[in-house]
Amino acid sequence: MPQFTSEALVLRTYRLGEADRIVVFLTSDRGKKRGVAKGARKTRSRFVGALEPLTHVQVSYYEREHRDLVRVNDVEMLRSPWSALDPDALTYVGYFAELIDEWAPEADPNERLYRLGASVIEAMVVGTPTERLARYFEYWLLRLQGVYPSVLACHGCGADLQDDGARLSARDALFLCPGCLGGSQGPALSPASIAFLREAARARPSSLGDLSWSVRVGRELEAAHRVLITTHLEKELKSMRVLKELRH
Amino acid sequence: MTQLDSLTQLVEQLQRLPGIGAKSAQRLAFHFLKNPRDEVERLCDALREVKDKVAYCSVCSNITDVDPCYYCTSPSRNRRVICVVEEPHNVTAVEKTREFNGVYHVLMGALSPLQGVGPDDLKIRGLLERVGNGEVDEVILATNPNVEGEATAIYLAKLLKPLGVRVTRIAMGVPVGSDLEYADEVTMHKAMEGRREV
Repeated sequence: MPQFTSEALVLRTYRLGEADRIVVFLTSDRGKKRGVAKGARKTRSRFVGALEPLTHVQVSYYEREHRDLVRVNDVEMLRSPWSALDPDALTYVGYFAELIDEWAPEADPNERLYRLGASVIEAMVVGTPTERLARYFEYWLLRLQGVYPSVLACHGCGADLQDDGARLSARDALFLCPGCLGGSQGPALSPASIAFLREAARARPSSLGDLSWSVRVGRELEAAHRVLITTHLEKELKSMRVLKELRH
Repeated sequence: MTQLDSLTQLVEQLQRLPGIGAKSAQRLAFHFLKNPRDEVERLCDALREVKDKVAYCSVCSNITDVDPCYYCTSPSRNRRVICVVEEPHNVTAVEKTREFNGVYHVLMGALSPLQGVGPDDLKIRGLLERVGNGEVDEVILATNPNVEGEATAIYLAKLLKPLGVRVTRIAMGVPVGSDLEYADEVTMHKAMEGRREV
């Protein structure tokens, strides 16, 4: 029974039996794994606290032949979203975790996705404003999957989208300038939103507080990203609906 | 329906219980089969009775066999302090301390974006109505010390504070009888944050 030790992000847990949990975690080197953490629900379990969603951990586990579930032996907390300076960040923890879970295939290493998740936890801990961190995370997640449309030029005529803003063609999942829009309707991005995305392409998550931002930019990006995420996953995320409810 | 069909149906029903897998369900089904009939009937009666008699309190949402519940009607309880918990069994945990003399409000869950549980799925409106009538001095948020419980507490605090009530959160930290050596950074941080003068 080979033992592995990796850094990982805890994505979610499910109750198992009286006192155990099934843990879903994204490792830095061996992709997404599911494993049994024995006794994880006991108050004095060695796992307590480290199995909360989006906790950055060092996990050691055993893989068993012909078994989908690994056996989680030890979990050491490295960084926890509990340390986030913005209290609102905790409501987004489930959203970030669900997005990573949806896009991380089982046992297929995706180090860039892992690093994105780890950097988001770090940004939460240093107090990066949660709303812009969420939009940044969505943008990079979709970019890493190769499905974020270009924000540089209109897909129709090649015009610079920074000049007059853009509108997302929901049907084709592409950004078009107002001139090429035709009859298609979709979320609009103002020049300020385009500017944020362009800066986000170069910025580290911990420096997002320095980027120009407004409530309008946040709303526009949220609407556009929701369409892109829902289109590509072919479903609306549970956590997305809850976040919407929390705001109203 | 043959005898085997009824056994299969029992196994299927038991398997729907939380924490019961296929093997445990089969074991329980054979246990019922082997047990004397009157013992099994006592279990059936107990199940029927609990469904017939136990309901949710119309004030605090705790489980009760009289409405409003004992805590909401007892003259010895301080109605100016409400302790908010996630589930009815959490009331029992707080009562064990014999330190709390106020009343309760059971949310019937916690905000859980991952499970799709939002504010509309919880008993929040009833809590706001109780606090809004001006007869409450303090609301103690005793949701679980995990991400979901903490997010729920933060959300409730935002709704309750504008109503002019004192909102407090239960302390978090190292459990009694444990060793600091094994406490993780978050637990230690919370313990230091909630320290008190001796």
